[in-house]
Amino acid sequence: MAFTLYLLLQAALLCVNTITVLHEERFLKNIGWGADQGIGGFGEEPGIKSQLMNLIRSVRTVMRVPLIIINSIAIVLLLLFG
Amino acid sequence: MHPAGLAAAGTPRQRKWPSKRRTPVSQPGMADPHQLFDDTSSAQSRGYGAQRAPSGLGYPAPSASPQAAFLADPVSNMAMAYGSSLAAQGKELVDKNIDRFVPVTKLKYYFAVDTMYVGKKLGLLFFPYLHQDWEVQYQQDTPVAPRFDINAPDLYIPAMAFITYVLVAGLALGTQDRFSPDLLGLQASSALAWLTLEVLAILLSLYLVTVNTDLTTIDLVAFLGYKYVGMIGGVLMGLLFGKIGYYLVLGWCCVSIFVFMIRTLRLKILAEAAAEGVPVRGARNQLRMYLTMAVAAAQPLLMYWLTFHLVR
Repeated sequence: MAFTLYLLLQAALLCVNTITVLHEERFLKNIGWGADQGIGGFGEEPGIKSQLMNLIRSVRTVMRVPLIIINSIAIVLLLLFG
Repeated sequence: MHPAGLAAAGTPRQRKWPSKRRTPVSQPGMADPHQLFDDTSSAQSRGYGAQRAPSGLGYPAPSASPQAAFLADPVSNMAMAYGSSLAAQGKELVDKNIDRFVPVTKLKYYFAVDTMYVGKKLGLLFFPYLHQDWEVQYQQDTPVAPRFDINAPDLYIPAMAFITYVLVAGLALGTQDRFSPDLLGLQASSALAWLTLEVLAILLSLYLVTVNTDLTTIDLVAFLGYKYVGMIGGVLMGLLFGKIGYYLVLGWCCVSIFVFMIRTLRLKILAEAAAEGVPVRGARNQLRMYLTMAVAAAQPLLMYWLTFHLVR
């Protein structure tokens, strides 16, 4: 079971890519997970769905630029070393 | 050893808040509870001072020898002084900035252990059924160092258990003629990857369930690292007594770790009211209970997964 740290890094990179690729208007709004569709009343405890939506939105906002860099590095490394 | 614990047992209802304001653990045996480690600097400086005085006196004396002539040269004296001041400045800079990347001061708390604590904690990991009081003692809002409280998490046992696990895995592979040095690195990397994955999964689920807990990441790593102790026991018994011994000891350690994790995490994750044993209804607490059960159930699974290929 060769589950190495490198494999974990690759899997994490792919997962973050997946989250970032979800398009706001074409996809998330159609299934009711848009950024403006989850605002519950204040003083109410946010449920799992709104936490997930917040997470997706923040990952997309924060990781957009760093992912460009990390993906470029990963592509170059994979091309060179297989 | 736990006077506040006995007092609190008499009033179980008031335990949830005053437990943080327990009487400070100030017994005559301890020098200063705020100190994590014993202070031996005075003995050191005395020793160094005594050493430096005669050597300082010895410098101007052998000025005839060529090496001392080189050192007595005023320019090289200045250069030496400048070099040493530069080194001191660099050390200061590193000390100031290292805390930003690696929380050294916080890590020191987790390594403030002594032999008695390690012995009692190992006993608790193998037999947690008789222990009554699982709360961590506090002292003016900071948790007490592990050497003064057996319930406090530490990083010494998980770190040592991890290294021992890698070595025992190498031993097990060696007895089956399957050993090669890079396999050791592979085992270590695999175990670390599973640990990282577990920590990330638990952090994610804690975020999703919006639990207001004081369970820090390092605490979580410490709790998740305790299962390596059971794994080592299982593999060693498997080496000595074959598969029967392995399954018996691993089964015992799995159940112990399950109970240990549930009792420890119940105090951290579940609401204060539920921690006293009263099953509180409500979707929130139910979800938290499921989360605690899931975390505790993942431990035996991982213990089996990481060791079954070592015992044939």
